[in-house]
Amino acid sequence: MTHIPHFTRRAAVLAAALGATLGAAPARAQGEPPIRIGISTAVQLQIGRDTRDGAQLAIDEINAKGGLLGRKLAMVVADETEDPEKGISAIKKLTADEKVDAIVGGYTSGVVLAQLPHIAAARTVYINVGAASPAINAKVKQNYEANKYIFRIGTLNSLHLAGGLVSYMTDYLHGELGMKKFAIVGESAKWVQDLIPVLKRGATAKGLDVVMAETFDTGTTNFSPLLSKVKNSGAEYMVVILSHASSDVLAKQWYDARIPVPYGGIDVKGQDTDFFERVGGKAVTAVAGNYIVRAPLSPRTLPFLDAFKARYKRETVYTGAGAYDAVHAWADAVARANSVQADAVIKALEKVDMPITTGRLQLDDTHDVKAGPGLVNMLWVQWQEGGKRVILWPREARTGDFAKPQWMQ
Amino acid sequence: MTDILVHGAVTSAIYAMLAVGFTLVFGVARILNLAHGAFYMLGAYFTYLFATLLGLPLALAALAAIAATAGLGWAVERWLIRPQRDSSMAVMMVTMAFLLVAEQVLLVTFGSEVVNVPAFADAKFSLGGADIGGQQLLTLATAVAALAVLWLLIQRTRAGAAILALSQDPLAAQYMGIPIDRVYGRVVALSAALAALAGVMAGPFLSTSPHMAMPALTKAFAIVIVGGLGSLPGSILAAILLGYAETAVAYLVSSSWTEVVSLAAVLLTLLLRPAGLRGKRAAF
Repeated sequence: MTHIPHFTRRAAVLAAALGATLGAAPARAQGEPPIRIGISTAVQLQIGRDTRDGAQLAIDEINAKGGLLGRKLAMVVADETEDPEKGISAIKKLTADEKVDAIVGGYTSGVVLAQLPHIAAARTVYINVGAASPAINAKVKQNYEANKYIFRIGTLNSLHLAGGLVSYMTDYLHGELGMKKFAIVGESAKWVQDLIPVLKRGATAKGLDVVMAETFDTGTTNFSPLLSKVKNSGAEYMVVILSHASSDVLAKQWYDARIPVPYGGIDVKGQDTDFFERVGGKAVTAVAGNYIVRAPLSPRTLPFLDAFKARYKRETVYTGAGAYDAVHAWADAVARANSVQADAVIKALEKVDMPITTGRLQLDDTHDVKAGPGLVNMLWVQWQEGGKRVILWPREARTGDFAKPQWMQ
Repeated sequence: MTDILVHGAVTSAIYAMLAVGFTLVFGVARILNLAHGAFYMLGAYFTYLFATLLGLPLALAALAAIAATAGLGWAVERWLIRPQRDSSMAVMMVTMAFLLVAEQVLLVTFGSEVVNVPAFADAKFSLGGADIGGQQLLTLATAVAALAVLWLLIQRTRAGAAILALSQDPLAAQYMGIPIDRVYGRVVALSAALAALAGVMAGPFLSTSPHMAMPALTKAFAIVIVGGLGSLPGSILAAILLGYAETAVAYLVSSSWTEVVSLAAVLLTLLLRPAGLRGKRAAF
């Protein structure tokens, strides 16, 4: 990997800034076509709509400041749904038909993995903001030349998620609240089956007791048997690992039967800003790991959340923040590289170090977002009465205390 | 053990409401109405539309949802099924097309997220150590009442006699002056109303999304194959068997295996007793 000398980067940024100030840019902007950013996501889901809208917000901010390299930015959206076939079509549409300069998107890991060969073939920078599988970025290391176009900015990979969840269980639920017995339940999916042994090892190493660990079919709509088993297992807390449609149903059935075991964990739908309302308030006290909530995580967090809300009249989920950050990080790399050419942008993006809405962005050698203190962290956020969200963990970001379900008080 | 008894009963009740209408249409009209899953979905969505979005009182919204779905069922029979009735393949295709269109319309209108259908009951009950939500208990009671009413309707009324006559010999029934088109229309409407009732009752605690129709249809299909196509008692028996088998597997083995139960039951039935549990007898 060649390092661009620091003075060259500075000079490039300076030149771009000078160009804009001296009025050369508007002349070019009129003559040259816009730089096109493709969005490939599941537009029917809030995850997807927020990806699109977060990217649009960043594009409009950049355009308001005169664009990039003297050109305006424009956005093209393709709906990849949650189906790998449609995901591949979306990438082909964006690269072959629309000839975009970069792609931002991704939610379902299976879809992104299916898209990778097509992204590599199109030699287009792709920034994944929603899919958590480590297998996606592992490809970069396996074959750098072919897969160097793949980046992840936004979501952390599931190994970091596991680390965050173990810390929430051992340091917070056990260390601060004194809970010892845990049940782990999750969807019957590959990433969950990979995650459960990691959680078990991490928990038992710190002296916790995992009294039950079970997966359920992703088509399950009746959780009564599972919830009764959790109740009868003697668990003090139910750790959940859910990424698809089951969150709403689980919350309702947990509340309806007043299961005397509080729950929380990796719950992707539980991050939706309308989740509490969608389940009629039955998610009260449920905890969902999240990247972005209204708290000063970085200088960019609150301005972004305010701008998003003012523009779209709703709160965003993590992919909105991820897409916003991805566009800004890519634009920063383009400005430093003084080119939209993929190889130059990749080299610049590899050295990114900037504040983003969820903390500070740096990438590792697999083009994956780095996690840890001072960087990006998983936040453990509890839904409380009235749909209020409170950060419980990590300690430095805490905004409130753990609340028990009202039937356990 | 009480957990299995109580939760198995609720699952069986929902399955019975779903399957009975499906088998009723087959028993009478000798057609496979694949739009049946859509009626279950529409029952739940109409309730959401009337109660949550339009603000009607829940009971009224539920009745309106069932009536609207029954009306749609009647319309499906009149304009989609009746012109194709001579070809069972054409009926299957046109009713499947209806289900797919209904899914897409709901997807575009309401999005693919789960929607919150309001529940009639919010209290929790404990039955012999098993905790159960009030809405689930009410679903069980409603299913028992609905099936009893259906039985009375078929056995004790003139309209029911016409349905019975058609199921036994359509040609003879026609010679006796029974207006077969009208009876077919009523049967599909009745079957749609039963599926909608299942949607109204189960929608608040099971998943109400545009993806709910197909799993409901395959479940109804599985139950009807196990029970014997066209046999109402067979369907109820199979619904109870599958409901309890799934619940027991979830408790004793793992929730990952519940979906395999009905598929295994279908496979075993087709291998060992292709006509189903009660398939050799007359339709009712």
